[in-house]
Amino acid sequence: MMLRLALHALTRRRTRTALTVAGVAVAAAMLLDMVMLGSGMRESFRAFLDQQGYQLRLAPRGTMPFDTEATVGGAGAIVARLRADPQIEAVSPVLGGRLFRVSSANDAVPAFALGIEPAVQSDYKVEEGRDLAARDELVANDNYLRAIGARVGDTVRVAAGYDPQMRRYAGERALRIVGRARFVMLGGAERAAALPLATLQAMGGDERRDRISVLLVRTRPGADAAAVAGRIERDEPRLSALSTADAMKFMDERLGYFRQLAAILASVSLAVGFLLVTTLVTVSVNERIGEIAVMRAIGVARWRIVAQVVAEGVALSFVGATLGLGLGLITAQWLNGILATFPGLPAAFDFFLFEPSMAFRSLGALVVCGILAGIWPAWRAARLPIAKTLREEAVA
Amino acid sequence: MRAFLVLVVVSSVIGAQESGVRERRSVAIDQRLAADANLRIGDLIVLAAEAGGTGDTVRVGAITRRTADPSEIARSDFRIRVHLDQLQSLTGVGDRVGRFAVAERDGRRETEDGSGSATVAAINASAFGFRAYSSAEVAVESSATFRVVNRFHKAIGVITIVASAIFLLCITLLKVDERRRDVGALRLIGISRASVVRSVVIESSLVALIGSAMGAFIGWGASALVNWYYQGFYGTPLRFTVVTPGIVAFAIGLSLVLGIGAGLLAAQRLVRRPPLELLGR
Repeated sequence: MMLRLALHALTRRRTRTALTVAGVAVAAAMLLDMVMLGSGMRESFRAFLDQQGYQLRLAPRGTMPFDTEATVGGAGAIVARLRADPQIEAVSPVLGGRLFRVSSANDAVPAFALGIEPAVQSDYKVEEGRDLAARDELVANDNYLRAIGARVGDTVRVAAGYDPQMRRYAGERALRIVGRARFVMLGGAERAAALPLATLQAMGGDERRDRISVLLVRTRPGADAAAVAGRIERDEPRLSALSTADAMKFMDERLGYFRQLAAILASVSLAVGFLLVTTLVTVSVNERIGEIAVMRAIGVARWRIVAQVVAEGVALSFVGATLGLGLGLITAQWLNGILATFPGLPAAFDFFLFEPSMAFRSLGALVVCGILAGIWPAWRAARLPIAKTLREEAVA
Repeated sequence: MRAFLVLVVVSSVIGAQESGVRERRSVAIDQRLAADANLRIGDLIVLAAEAGGTGDTVRVGAITRRTADPSEIARSDFRIRVHLDQLQSLTGVGDRVGRFAVAERDGRRETEDGSGSATVAAINASAFGFRAYSSAEVAVESSATFRVVNRFHKAIGVITIVASAIFLLCITLLKVDERRRDVGALRLIGISRASVVRSVVIESSLVALIGSAMGAFIGWGASALVNWYYQGFYGTPLRFTVVTPGIVAFAIGLSLVLGIGAGLLAAQRLVRRPPLELLGR
């Protein structure tokens, strides 16, 4: 009965109700987007780190992995010591550098180069051909293959350095392209190639001999990664050990702006939804004061009046939130498309990640706002003096 | 030359006042490093190309403030400015530089076809193995991240405008609906429909105008708050938000358009109904 009356009150002024629902839907969409933005970046980044399958990243002391061009010497000995550690299951050494396609014309095509050990690498996935097996082989991504006009199976002449003043290449090698790969941590527009670590080190000459940029470390099951990190930092003073938690903290610092923006806009969206529903329910109750007084006069209990008005608020919020869920997912796609063009961001990185529990909690908060929005006008309506109101409103 | 190999402070203060020792070369460090490592002007530090490596002892000669560079705000690394030859020696790169900055005599000269800087064109045409860029080109390249953020903000702005338009329309409808008895009475005593519509539109325009003026004032305050917070958070003098006359004019103009539109729509709905129905008869 109360629900029917609430529904009747809402359908009596359809335009008004439709506009309020539309307003709540936009607010709910914004709220959902901001919740997705707030948690999406962290979870997406965590998924990237987990996907690599290594818990620790070791970089030259005081730097973040690949944040600078710093390298560490004596890599062979460090790797051997780490591999001898009973708490460590696997170690993947990586050297970053530049690779230039050797050309007689002045058009050396540069690419980001990774020197890796194929058996333990986690930086790329081969999509065509096969992984590296010999020292004179190379795998490259689509962008690089396109830029140099090569295909899997071709042999290309590449160099590790290029002196633009003398137009001279350094560390030239002829390498055979054995695979086309997708580099998981690189931006969609970047050109990249991977070659055996020893080859890239040798191509770099004295500057790169026995040096690495990053070491990825996988601890054995049951080992305390934080304790292993602490021990490595003590034993290897030239290295900083970064756990997944440290990387997440670093990520939070770099992208803190977006999380704060998301929190502010989510709060504003909740407030807008609350205000819209409160306004509509209050005006609606004010219009029906006489009607409510009649209901009270014929014996309808106060709590039923309150329940009816609150039900109106809940219905508006619920329908708005449901529509907002769909709208939010569409706008999230749009906003994600904009942020995906960030320079250097991995192509598969998502700023907006839909997590059902989080989404339903936030939309639930909006429905709670609808309940709160209805309580005050409902309580006011239920406490009206019956005789006076009837005389002023209903009889008039 | 910009240090692309990291210099590490191997040892912090060796001694605040060194006496009887040869004059050390000086370096400039940024405020963040000075605060975190508790360094002051005159302190001695050892710089090396990598932790544990052989380094040079230098004196802190200056503490610098970060420039308002958008590309640097999210970076937490420290900055040390070292004499060029000392950095070349520390990093072992020899007589090399990363880039040259060139100041044009008598200001910027344009190419004949007006396509850019004549100096940049001349260097690119004649210098062996160099590529020259104008300051504007460098700025565009280094602010790519902020162009994306700008597009994101615009998209959020569009959603906000849609929400505001619905909110305004809803409130205007409610306000006009609330006065349907007054409007019914006015119509019965001979006030024309056009007059009723005009009065409603004027009222909603005034509400939009006053609301947007208040919004501009709140926006100005919020902008100051945002700048204060993020300048402190990132340790940069960069201004994150700016309320320009153009933005204020756009906000007021848009509010007026929305207000007039909402008023027209609400008034048209009202005057279409017979006066007696508006009075509840």
